[in-house]
Amino acid sequence: MSRSAEGFDPITLEIIQSSLQAASDEMFAAMRRTAMSAIIYEVLDMGTGITDAHGQLASSGAGIPAFIGVLDKAVRRILELNPREGIRDGDIFATNDPYYGGVTHLNDVVLAMPVFAGGELVAWTANIAHWNDVGGMVPGSISTDAREIFQEGLRLPGVKLVDRGRPIDSVMRIMEVNSRLPDFLRGDMWAGIAAVRIGAQRLQELVAKYGRDTFLAATEHFMDYGEQVSLKALRELPKGRFELEEEQDSGSVYRVTVEIADDAFTVDLRENPDQDEGPNNAGRDGSLVAAQMVFKSLTDPYGVANGGSFRPLRLLTRPGSVFDAQEPAAFAVYYEVEVRLYDLIWRCLAPSLGGLLPAGHFASICGTFIGGPHPDTGRHFTIVEPQVGGWGGSVRGDGNSAIFSGFHGETYNCPAEVAETRYGLYVNRMTLNDAPGGEGAHRGGKGIVIDYAVRQDGCFFTCSYTRNRHLPWAADGGLEGSPNVAEVIRADASREEYAVVTGLVVNEGDVIRIRTGNGGGYGDPADRDPEAIAADVENELIAEDRARRVYGALPAGADG
Amino acid sequence: MSSSSAANRVATDVGGTFTDLVHLRTDPATGRQEIVTAKSDTTPPDFERGVLEVIARSGVATADIGFLVHGTTVVINALTERKGVTTGLITTEGFRDSLEIARGNRPDFFNLFYRKPAPFVPRHLRRELPGRLAPTGAERWPLDLSGLPAILEDFRAKGVEAVAICLLHSYANPEHELAALERVRELWPGVSAVASHQITREWREYERTSTAVLSAYVQPIAERYLGRLHDGVARDGFAGQPYIMQSNCGVDTLDHVKRIPITMVESGPASGFWGAAELGRLIGEPNVLALDIGGTTAKCSLIEDGRVRIMTDYWIERDQRSAGYPIMVPVVDLVEIGNGGGSIASVDDFGKLHVGPRSAGADPGPAAYGLGGEHATTTDANLVLGRINPAFFRGGDVDADMPAAERALDAVAAELGGTRLDAARGIVRIANHNMINALKLVSVNRGHDPRDFTLVAFGGGGGMHAAALAAELGMAKVVIPRAADVFSAWGMLMSDLRRDYFVTRLATLTPDRSASLDGWVREVEVHAADQYAAEGIAADQLSLERFGRLRYENQEHSVEVPLEAGEFDAAAVQAIVERFHVTYEREYTYRLDAPVEFVGVHVVASAQVGKLTPAKLPVDGREVAEARKGEREVDFELEGVAAAAIYDGAALEPGMAFSGPAIVETSGTTVVVRPGDEVRMDDYGNLHIDVGGTA
Repeated sequence: MSRSAEGFDPITLEIIQSSLQAASDEMFAAMRRTAMSAIIYEVLDMGTGITDAHGQLASSGAGIPAFIGVLDKAVRRILELNPREGIRDGDIFATNDPYYGGVTHLNDVVLAMPVFAGGELVAWTANIAHWNDVGGMVPGSISTDAREIFQEGLRLPGVKLVDRGRPIDSVMRIMEVNSRLPDFLRGDMWAGIAAVRIGAQRLQELVAKYGRDTFLAATEHFMDYGEQVSLKALRELPKGRFELEEEQDSGSVYRVTVEIADDAFTVDLRENPDQDEGPNNAGRDGSLVAAQMVFKSLTDPYGVANGGSFRPLRLLTRPGSVFDAQEPAAFAVYYEVEVRLYDLIWRCLAPSLGGLLPAGHFASICGTFIGGPHPDTGRHFTIVEPQVGGWGGSVRGDGNSAIFSGFHGETYNCPAEVAETRYGLYVNRMTLNDAPGGEGAHRGGKGIVIDYAVRQDGCFFTCSYTRNRHLPWAADGGLEGSPNVAEVIRADASREEYAVVTGLVVNEGDVIRIRTGNGGGYGDPADRDPEAIAADVENELIAEDRARRVYGALPAGADG
Repeated sequence: MSSSSAANRVATDVGGTFTDLVHLRTDPATGRQEIVTAKSDTTPPDFERGVLEVIARSGVATADIGFLVHGTTVVINALTERKGVTTGLITTEGFRDSLEIARGNRPDFFNLFYRKPAPFVPRHLRRELPGRLAPTGAERWPLDLSGLPAILEDFRAKGVEAVAICLLHSYANPEHELAALERVRELWPGVSAVASHQITREWREYERTSTAVLSAYVQPIAERYLGRLHDGVARDGFAGQPYIMQSNCGVDTLDHVKRIPITMVESGPASGFWGAAELGRLIGEPNVLALDIGGTTAKCSLIEDGRVRIMTDYWIERDQRSAGYPIMVPVVDLVEIGNGGGSIASVDDFGKLHVGPRSAGADPGPAAYGLGGEHATTTDANLVLGRINPAFFRGGDVDADMPAAERALDAVAAELGGTRLDAARGIVRIANHNMINALKLVSVNRGHDPRDFTLVAFGGGGGMHAAALAAELGMAKVVIPRAADVFSAWGMLMSDLRRDYFVTRLATLTPDRSASLDGWVREVEVHAADQYAAEGIAADQLSLERFGRLRYENQEHSVEVPLEAGEFDAAAVQAIVERFHVTYEREYTYRLDAPVEFVGVHVVASAQVGKLTPAKLPVDGREVAEARKGEREVDFELEGVAAAAIYDGAALEPGMAFSGPAIVETSGTTVVVRPGDEVRMDDYGNLHIDVGGTA
């Protein structure tokens, strides 16, 4: 039992801790059911959480790993930016700007609500969600052409949105008028407001029931517990200093050094290129989140994730570098930078940790943006979606096919039936990717192929995929996976290929074919179980001639 | 159905270990009702043998049974144990991988070794047909069946026994699926085949494909089982139509269920919740939180105004570690958690106490069973705290092995750093807290205040925890039904014939859409009435309830609101929209000034099948003191230790009342009455507890 829990009944503390988790989950569920944008309610590009009065993460809702460990940073910045006497019961603050606590990019709006008990600030409830359009130079606000954050939309620098329970109309009107989709903005905003209020109410009930001191002790003890769990796992990991440098699709080279000691896990990113002139940047907070994701997967993938869990993690960055970009750098594509960093740390450690990490996965958000007039309703539609892809093989078996990247988690793809209705284009197919690659003793999982058939002239397509030139990496003698790529097949049958493009005009009859990568193979293909090879052939997951070439002679019966 | 033919009503329930029977006999002369229960071993794989055996054992002559209802886990077992048949899937060109791509989610998201659930049909048995519908149901290009003979030939060669068909947009227009189904039956008479629209008319191709596949996978097994059961009872002289318990809290005819047996998937919990709804009606409590505490899990559901809530987003094997498999059939809205009497208590490396979800099961069971179980369970904690009588354990059949229970608790205490009693209290508090969270999920999280509800608790462990849970939630009243341990079977006996129809129909709801709305609802109602009429149930026996699923435009999740009877006009549409705003605001705390979208129709078509009216119990006028067996020290945890009066539940009669601290012991369950609680037995033998300190 930790020091913070002394004098308190451990069972009561545990009940409060579990109630904090329940409150985060309840906020999450409420927001999911009420949001307007598919990117929130379907993709679940959102997160909820509770921090203590100082902005230390006490608990977080389900959703996506990349949003765990974002809200605490936002709350801490809001506390810095606002005089303490200006923070009052019933207030709600908004931030979306990485220079003002927003962590990610301007589309991700954080709403945070201070929770008071007996006049004292005891906690915060908060959520983050991807709003469809916050203004800026292109529909959807994300442009690979942006050079400064000013081009990416309305900046909300940790300001008050609701004052002692009363919505501040002037702020809301500024927000609405800056969006191309004000109805969505309003709907998503109210979903977020309802969620933080529900969470705050639950916390107030807890304080009323158990008393403020017990509540505060429970929060503190919960974080100490998270720290103990991490430290114990850290002690069991192989120790050492590990380095990796890796060329990116853009040609720049990223470098990482990780040092694992008994009481600290240090990620050094100081030797990295200067910040990008475009939007391929991460803030220091965003880089920290990427490191936290790897750290959590290595130490305690099943347990609670709170501020304490991450205490043993140290991050070193160089201000002005791509992982610690300074104003006015643009951030729209921060997520590819973050997932690259996540994959870089993972890859750096994989060879040395004795099978604790699988081979590389398609490891891109594959953020896909398609918009234009809906041919049936005439209204403007926008698809804003990440894609599923293949995961790497591991010491335990083949990689999964068609699941979201390590950045996303409890995220759902969009059914073709829903997409065709809502977006006014046809999904002509959605299949596993038949591209070669990723073979191994344990092969990588398959990516997917989706054909979007455009039904109306004057639509646009934007994407920014990585792992296009440099493929999902293999481990222990396996073969590399296959690339993430977008192909545009024009009505006249001409073809174009893209990994990064903004605002490409597509017209009726054009097909946008998204192909996501197969994961990397694990282990020498020669060691693959003949029955597994035969099953792959029977299931048409590999062509016979390729199977023969990669795995050697086919087992008897695999030719049928 | 006349009352005399219904004099003998029998429910049988096939569980994992035992097949249970409840026989409710009404004396035609006095109207007095008597409940007889019987048990026999479950007999896999020929489950019907156990059913026939338990009927024989109960002493009722099969020929004398007026109403026979049956619940079975045969479907859910075949699914979870992967004992279905080799299934082939036929789907739209370009979509054979839909079943494997699924939704791409990784619920266990920090776990890099997460295993995506494997599809029930491997890729080489997933085949495609050209032909395409638009979302409106209009044909984009015609269905081409020319490849079908070769596909089926291949299926046969590969040992396929059942064929599932799911084509894109069949929820909007089933014609392509019907054509494919018909052709499959022509080409391969006798094969078990199902098309997705026969089960669900809702969109989302992965969910619908999964539904069709899982249904096909169990269909031959369930069909054979139900067929043999029917033959068996008919051979023994039962002339009527057996009814089968469904997941939507209704029963349906055996013949109808045989066609789409997947609807039985959650019939077990459904019967208990329906029992709670019926009990509520009987005793004038229309708003009920129903809680069923068994050996390994606790399940709960909310009943508002006598209505159970039926949903179609049901999944098997889904939890925080796995994405599971969706089945879009009407299932009662329930939350289930891994907390029951057999849940194991453990202390982690950091001194935190956890209860469940691991369970000691029936063998070895709790340490106190004396069967070699070494882990402390909730039951062991309740024994050590004096709540369960060690000399009246498991229905009085055996003595509890107290030294074993104490040893197990001492081990927990040593790890926690406290006394044996501290450990036992901790276990009960954590178990209660887990159940409170589950109760909140079905109430508070959906905008309902538990204080407006009565807690009806049943199952072997319901009475043990109910009063403490109610107190924690501020609920004033608890009801423990008579024969709470066989309450699910009682619920089955009270069920109506019921079918739920869900159909996706999208439109912005404006007053000028009243005619379309009318058409959509009517279409579903006519379909329901036709279906029943074909089975000999006339329109005047049928009762129809209609609901609309609405949302703000661009949202995804919908809110269900009742629709008025009769033809809709502009004013009715206005009223529906307003009803939506109100319901939405109650659930989510705000409303929007935004267009409202109609998403779908939900029609409930039910017919009574000779439901009985429970009779009041006779009263002898004895004193409550006569039911008092003695007194013992009981640890009420938060309320401290007190000398509690012990009552023999079987000796209590209507009208008797007493105060806590007390314990009521019956052969199947123990009811804990805390200090300050007041108990009264009602006319039907149910115990009403007024929870102290909540007024």
